[in-house]
Amino acid sequence: MALSCHGALREIKGSTDFTFALAGNPNVGKSSIFNRLTGMGVVTANYPGKTVELNLATTNFKELRIGIIDLPGSYALGAVSEDQWVARRAVLDCKPDVAIMILDATNLARNLYMLIQFIDLGIPIVAALNLIDEAQKRKIIIDSVELSRLLGIPVVKTIATTGSGLDDLIQKAVDTAKIKEDIRYSLHYGEDIETNIKKLEEKLRPHDFGINPRALSIMLLEDDTEFIDLVAKHVNGMSIIEEAKKISREIEELHGETTPLRIARERHGLAGSIASQVQGDVAPMASDKIWALTTSPLTGMPILVGVLAVIFSFLFYGGDWLSTFLSSKWATYVSPVIDGTVFYVFGSGHIGKILVWGFDAGILAALAVGIPYVLTFYFMLAFLEDSGYLNSVAFLTDRLMHKFGLHGRAIIPLVAGAGCNVPAIIGTRVLATMRERTIASTLITLVPCSARTAVILGAVSLFVGWKPAVAIYLIILGLVFLVGVGLNKIMPGKSTGLVMEMFPFRAPIMSNILKKTWYRFKDFVFVAFPIVLFGSMFLGGLYETGYLWKLASPLSPVVEGWLGLPAVAGLTLIFAVLRKELALQLLVTLAMVMYGGGAKNLLLFMTPAQLFVYALVNTIYIPCVATIAVLGRELGWKRASGIMFFTITLAILVGGIASRLIGYFHLL
Amino acid sequence: MEADTPRIEEYLESIYKLQQEQHPVSTSRLAEHLKLSAPSVSEMVKKLANKRLVNHTEKGVCLTDEGSKMAKRVVRRHRLSERLLTDILGYKWDEVHDEACRLEHAISPQMEERIARSLGNPKTCPHGHPIPDKDGVFLKEKVRRLSELKAKEKAIIVNVFEEDPKMLQYLASLGLIPDVSILVEEVAPFGGPLIVCVSGSRYALGREVASKIKVK
Repeated sequence: MALSCHGALREIKGSTDFTFALAGNPNVGKSSIFNRLTGMGVVTANYPGKTVELNLATTNFKELRIGIIDLPGSYALGAVSEDQWVARRAVLDCKPDVAIMILDATNLARNLYMLIQFIDLGIPIVAALNLIDEAQKRKIIIDSVELSRLLGIPVVKTIATTGSGLDDLIQKAVDTAKIKEDIRYSLHYGEDIETNIKKLEEKLRPHDFGINPRALSIMLLEDDTEFIDLVAKHVNGMSIIEEAKKISREIEELHGETTPLRIARERHGLAGSIASQVQGDVAPMASDKIWALTTSPLTGMPILVGVLAVIFSFLFYGGDWLSTFLSSKWATYVSPVIDGTVFYVFGSGHIGKILVWGFDAGILAALAVGIPYVLTFYFMLAFLEDSGYLNSVAFLTDRLMHKFGLHGRAIIPLVAGAGCNVPAIIGTRVLATMRERTIASTLITLVPCSARTAVILGAVSLFVGWKPAVAIYLIILGLVFLVGVGLNKIMPGKSTGLVMEMFPFRAPIMSNILKKTWYRFKDFVFVAFPIVLFGSMFLGGLYETGYLWKLASPLSPVVEGWLGLPAVAGLTLIFAVLRKELALQLLVTLAMVMYGGGAKNLLLFMTPAQLFVYALVNTIYIPCVATIAVLGRELGWKRASGIMFFTITLAILVGGIASRLIGYFHLL
Repeated sequence: MEADTPRIEEYLESIYKLQQEQHPVSTSRLAEHLKLSAPSVSEMVKKLANKRLVNHTEKGVCLTDEGSKMAKRVVRRHRLSERLLTDILGYKWDEVHDEACRLEHAISPQMEERIARSLGNPKTCPHGHPIPDKDGVFLKEKVRRLSELKAKEKAIIVNVFEEDPKMLQYLASLGLIPDVSILVEEVAPFGGPLIVCVSGSRYALGREVASKIKVK
């Protein structure tokens, strides 16, 4: 469950002796350390409008209760991406007693860049020199004592995967937290930049901006819009901004490059010189031979196709099997108990029946999607992420995705959509902007998930033939392409380019993967269950009270007139919102109600052309309630409604056209 | 030498620099850069136009061929002076700018050549900017887009042309800044992204990002 950051941070600070923030670049073993330090009681919190989350937990160390905030992994503490913004905001809001900076010992210089930014913020720091085992394998020997001396902070060698050094790390952090006097760091930029920082710092010192004046001075010179706005709102703020601009121009004049760039350069220079003082010459990163196969076009593409096929078939067959298994067990063991209890308490009138719709059919719907598809997909996703393969995939598919205004990282959610749309849409969080996430989510809702595939197979393939069934997939593929290109054209804004670190292969750690999977799944359960529950009861209410049949007549111009389907078929489409495969089940049920038991053969009831159009419309139009729920949560209800409206329109349009083309050319 | 020459040179140098970012240069921007009032700047611009060193239109000022040549000579003397100060007199490279601003107007063409010769005809100033030759011609280096490089090619970043300041800063925080050497490791076909190595880290860059990075 996502809490608001302010509340969650305050609570954790109030209830513990010390709070430590874990910071570091992506993929340095930060979450392994977090998992080792904390148990299962992790809460996630996010800032309004932001999707990058903070993990918070408490742990006991000796007699102390310690709160641990896991900041999102990022390369810097700016405001240029959401992960950076959230990390910085959380540090400023929470004012942790100590920031524990996790450094990748195999790539010290790059990792020191953000550490220097933390030093600029003036908060107490302890550094963990993690992946020290990997570094040794690559013959990188780091003098941690010298590093500690140069940085002026404690440095502890750790191996997150075995837990080595972690006790010492926390002990050092506690010792540092107990020091009450202000810390003074002796790390400095070049002479003239330092002078200019101090000059601006003096102007800031008399005012209270809730942040260390040196840090603020640097951020103003770095042209950080958020802090420029903060200062500008203050009395005398404008004159300080003017001064900052003047100083910035002077630096620019002197160095022939913009001040933010100059500061970044000096920071890199500082990081590089410290790194070179504590380690011998580092041989250039040897490219991982096997890993290179996954990005080289000749070998990478076949590997990618293979991996996607495995994911797809796992979700499709494995998920389907699990789903059927769960449904049958539910029907035998759980359903009778729930129904019996509800009818006993509420009687078997409308209320009882509606509650059964919700608590029996509804919960089953959520479970039948949740466990088989969502849980398995999260597991595979965590595996791909942690191994680093996801980045190779992004690299290979970037070009195609670019046509849709997306970049390579979008391919995994899009393919996953074929299993289940719900985790796929949550998976779009790997994309940076709302524009990209909206485009990707819209495309995902068009991808036939396993439930819709069941309808295509059960209605079209079985009764009409496999060729028309394949035709439906081809139509959908074409639509996904057209809609992707179209959205990229009409949606305001530009796609951001791909900039992504390619880290070397690391064997994923099962406990990390399981934890990651569980946290994400928990999130899904909290979002989807209530909505599926109430959605089911609402539809149940319509059905039980008979209002549903009254809906048939206003729908008939569209269903009968335009799509050429029987009116009752239209009603089953409404029910399919609950679960897409319900469309088929209800169709069979209705056929039997109207034509008796023999009507199991749908062809007695509908023509091949009608079955084709029916399956096509069912595939395209409005996704199921669980999907609607995540769309609303992930993109906001405005965008979610937009997508729903769009898919309904598209389905009716395409269905009608298909119906006419089939009739005109006598295709079926 | 006219009494006005240092002032004229100062103007030409400023216009020359500002032309790199704005063409033509507005008089208000010029006044801001020279830290002078707008009326005195427009008066001086009129004088320069009379001498046919600049063209003055409603949109702003731009250098004529002759003005441009003169400006580049000033740039040359400025950067040579900086070299002289650091290499011979032992100044630090961040202390030389103001001294060079005074020296650049006092150096005769003959002295200019002597300095150049005794310094061994340096190609760049201490800050890494190119020094034009005595005809005002910059040594042309073959500058290409990063996206034009092939796999296994090495280069040095010259500039990053990115309008979005956030992206620019993001790239800077990753170490993609001018004067840094970069190795292209892999190029995806059909206009796909590149894998590059920069200071010990490996990144995938989309083609559109890579095309904004100029390298030599």
